[in-house]
Amino acid sequence: MVFKLSHTTSYKYDSGVTFCHNIATLKPKTIVGQTLLDYKLDISPMPTEISEKIDFFGNVVTRFSIQQHHKELKVTASSIVEIDSSLKPDIYQSVDAQKITLQQAIQELKSIEPNILEVRQFILESILIAKITPEIKEYAGVSFKPNRPIFEAAYELMQRIYTDFEFDPEFTNVATPIHDVMKEKKGVCQDFAQIAIACLRSVGLPGRYISGYIETLPPPGKEKLIGTDASHAWFSLYIPKFGWVDFDPTNNQLPKDQHITVSWGRDYYDVPPLKGVIYSTGKNKMNVSVDIRPAV
Amino acid sequence: MTTHSNILFQNYFSDFKNYDEVLKSNMSINPNWETLLNNLTEMGHDALISKQKEIDWLMDENGVTYNVYNDPKGLHRPWNLNIVPFVIHQKEWETVEKGIKQRAEILNLVLKDIYGKRELIKKGIIPQEVIFAHRGFLRQCDQIQYKTAKNLLIYSSDLARGPDGRMWVVNDRTQAPSGMGYALENRYSMSKALPGIFKDINVKQPSGFFYDFNQMLIDSAPQNKENPNIVILTPGPHNETYFEHSYLSSFLGYPLVTGDDLVVRSGKVWMKSLKELKQVDVILRRVDDVFMDPLELREDSYLGVAGLLDVIRRQNVSIINPIGSGILENSGLIPFMNNICKYFLKENLILPQIASWWCGQEKERNYVLDNLSNLVVKRIDRSNRESIFFCEFLDNKALESLKKEIISSPYGFVAQEKISFSTAPDFVDGTLEPRKVMCRTFAIAKHDSYSIMPGGLVRVAAERENLFVSNQRGGVSKDFWVSTDEKQTNIQNYAWDNSFKIRISDINDLPSNTAQNLFWSGRYLGRALVTARFLRTVLNRMSSEQYNEGITGSENLKFLLQSLTHITYTFPGFVGKGSDALLKNPLKEILSLMLDQDRMGSFAQTMSSFNNSYYSLRNLWSKDMWRVFDGIQKLWLKFEDDDNYSISALTKILDRIITRIIAFMSLIEESILVQQGLLLYFIGLQTEQAMMNVSKCRSLLVFNHNEQLQYDILESLLTSHESLNIYRYSYRSYLNVENVIQLILLQSDYPKSLTYQLRRIQKDVERLPHSKATGNITECETLIAEANLKIQQLNIKSLLQLNNDGSLRQNLDNCLSELSDLLHDLSLSISDTYFNHSHQQTQLVNQNFPL
Repeated sequence: MVFKLSHTTSYKYDSGVTFCHNIATLKPKTIVGQTLLDYKLDISPMPTEISEKIDFFGNVVTRFSIQQHHKELKVTASSIVEIDSSLKPDIYQSVDAQKITLQQAIQELKSIEPNILEVRQFILESILIAKITPEIKEYAGVSFKPNRPIFEAAYELMQRIYTDFEFDPEFTNVATPIHDVMKEKKGVCQDFAQIAIACLRSVGLPGRYISGYIETLPPPGKEKLIGTDASHAWFSLYIPKFGWVDFDPTNNQLPKDQHITVSWGRDYYDVPPLKGVIYSTGKNKMNVSVDIRPAV
Repeated sequence: MTTHSNILFQNYFSDFKNYDEVLKSNMSINPNWETLLNNLTEMGHDALISKQKEIDWLMDENGVTYNVYNDPKGLHRPWNLNIVPFVIHQKEWETVEKGIKQRAEILNLVLKDIYGKRELIKKGIIPQEVIFAHRGFLRQCDQIQYKTAKNLLIYSSDLARGPDGRMWVVNDRTQAPSGMGYALENRYSMSKALPGIFKDINVKQPSGFFYDFNQMLIDSAPQNKENPNIVILTPGPHNETYFEHSYLSSFLGYPLVTGDDLVVRSGKVWMKSLKELKQVDVILRRVDDVFMDPLELREDSYLGVAGLLDVIRRQNVSIINPIGSGILENSGLIPFMNNICKYFLKENLILPQIASWWCGQEKERNYVLDNLSNLVVKRIDRSNRESIFFCEFLDNKALESLKKEIISSPYGFVAQEKISFSTAPDFVDGTLEPRKVMCRTFAIAKHDSYSIMPGGLVRVAAERENLFVSNQRGGVSKDFWVSTDEKQTNIQNYAWDNSFKIRISDINDLPSNTAQNLFWSGRYLGRALVTARFLRTVLNRMSSEQYNEGITGSENLKFLLQSLTHITYTFPGFVGKGSDALLKNPLKEILSLMLDQDRMGSFAQTMSSFNNSYYSLRNLWSKDMWRVFDGIQKLWLKFEDDDNYSISALTKILDRIITRIIAFMSLIEESILVQQGLLLYFIGLQTEQAMMNVSKCRSLLVFNHNEQLQYDILESLLTSHESLNIYRYSYRSYLNVENVIQLILLQSDYPKSLTYQLRRIQKDVERLPHSKATGNITECETLIAEANLKIQQLNIKSLLQLNNDGSLRQNLDNCLSELSDLLHDLSLSISDTYFNHSHQQTQLVNQNFPL
């Protein structure tokens, strides 16, 4: 399936901005099962400088600055992405991977093999998922038992978050601490992903935060999925001897042909779609729109 | 020498428990200290007390301070230097020096590796979590390449003598180590106050080290420029070691800047100078890692420069030390240091470390949990005392909660053996007392090795049995001597090598923040002086009325009091609602105008604004300036504490402060060069004085009065203007309005006349830089030219003309009001043209994550 996707973020500044420095993490990845066919980043006004680099986690970030006075900033990322989940390793085809228990996984993760080292960093606390509380550990403990397979447990965790937490865009913003989300059991996709990651890490498993999109238009006869009017987020669990497996707790499903991966990191902090420092005297207003449809 | 006969050593032993620098275990004297102790003994008890006082005084006089955070009385706390130095012999020092060089080199290689290939982790020499779980590991700095010979350019370590008699490493400081400036100032003060104490001891001097320091800064410039633009970045006057930042700035001759003096554009860092943006090549920073770039690091930081990291990646600027070097301030590395050393250098560590167990490893963690109460536990990435747990002092509950914390994030903790370090004699209340000491040493990258400061900064525990040695609480320091058998020359003055000084050569290059502070210093100082003089005139009038209760007298006083409200702009005061009561009993309002710091326009408020802008300029101060400045502050503080607020007491304090303000003003003029920014100070000062002059004349000369009252008012006006004598000399006549207007406003060659002041402002404003943005003629020039034209066209006849009912001089008031507006616009225009900091840095998305 080929998707055409466009993600526009615009800011209107009350009293104008004399100049700004920005970082955008908007370029979809090319990974197994996902190929970026075309990508274009349009910025208005035209940046004075712009450059691309690969960040610590392997994401492509674009840095740009605008050095002229402007009252509006508009950033549009347009991509064409081909998704073919049949190319991805399927956990349901791997009986061994489905059987790996928590105890076994923790043992495997002690190795300093390069690929294990790479994932081990996702066990540690991160900027937004820090000081994991006994409440989170307890919530995780309901699903994760030493002798239970971690895939099964993670699947159950995803289901429980889907059931226990209420999707409420009014309740949280990007700075809401996970502990508040845990307490109120409310939030958006980003919060649910981070709660799940906190749970994985609380039992010693690597959890990764995935930032991306989900298909806007539902297939005929199916319901529209949540998270379609903005960027989406979900989590990934590393299963030793198999690899990373994605889970979408907001929609209670394993991402397959409708999820487009842009970037990953330890949590949202590592991969905000657009951030920046502006020099101005007034307030600003933000507007985001995302549109994804199958390319005809 | 026998210690028993020495009065200085009375009671030295009674509390003697630990290893001591001077006393060996058999109670004999360490020969390295013998000459020093002889010198001290020879000076005698009384001389030592008086010398200690002199040192305290000298530190105070020279403005050596150490700010203590969150302590209202702590700001600008004097730095304490104990009269008894710490001595180490060259022979032992050679080993220490080798050890510091080795450790600096290892840490340099670690820094390069963990932001590069990470082979230490891949080869299992250090566990990944020691680095990745440390909050100082900045992933944003990964794979940055540097052109400098070393990645770690400055290294500082805290050493203390362990039970085996060797110097041990206690802490590594790698982000922005402090203390060099204090160490240098300590040495100067000792040489100045106590030349006798050096008798027969050859102490190694740090001049060569600072030469290397400067050379390192120059060599760090990415483009190998011959004359690189080097700046010192400070968090600002509230930082604890601000004294040192400004000290190094004036000592090395590089501008002291704050984050908002710098800006990133077109892939380079620029300093906002008075004229234009000037490219910066090297930043010696005293700002911690995460505050350096609000774009990629801590988003709530106003201490750094947005976009800086990208300039570093492009190798267009060098930061010393590189951002990210805080990862080396990591007690989690200690257990692995010897293996790291073997891996890189194929040798063992020279300097011993405290036995440490990193809790991220199972075996070690179990040991720590089983033996917790005998250990000292630290977080790997925090070295402040709140994050150090001396477990022997914890109760069971605290121990249990610490255990839980360790179990829940074991990677973040290290436990260390508790060690008793040595004590050294400290001169306290007339005798010597053993106190714990910590020696901070400094290393600077030099070619393929490091240059080590001979000695360093010794800090002393605040109390006898205290385990903590920290400056945060405002501790005591010592001069650190490396004694040698070779003859040394003592440091005599501050100029270490003039040929290396790269001075700011031009007013154009003045950092615009500095310019702004100079301008406001001038304005506040001008306002303070005029206000003080006017207050004094009013008080004198009040006091003479107590003897002479004439009717005209109290009319005169009423006018003076009302003008006081006008010129200080402290309405309603003696003018508006409720003024009748105040006029009957004016002392209370006058006290408020003098003392109320929170009242806009009060003398106290003006002085405190002046202190703030002036303190930000301390790298430009001369010692004399500090002395007088400090004198004013002390006088004022003492006065505030007094409760004698009689008219005569108030007059007396004003007299004394006015004299000092004037002394201070003339010191500024002779201590700061015009191209260093004195021009801005002059413009501020003259503008303020002209404004106050106009305001005084409007409130005292516009209304028409009967002859006697008019006389009294004119007399007071001239007195407050310090112009009565000049008037008598120039006019030799009875006071009249015409002559007073001539003298105060129109005289073109009298420096206190408005005409003269305006012309002077015009001349100075014309010398300010012109750039593309300002054009050939700046708005400031247009405004001041207009004011000058206006005053030249004034006609005395027209100014004197009364309105129809004969009550006031409307023309005079109109002219003065126009001039007042022009001056006000001028001040705004100067701010807009030259100091534009009005555009605040903000985050596009406000998320404020703790980093």
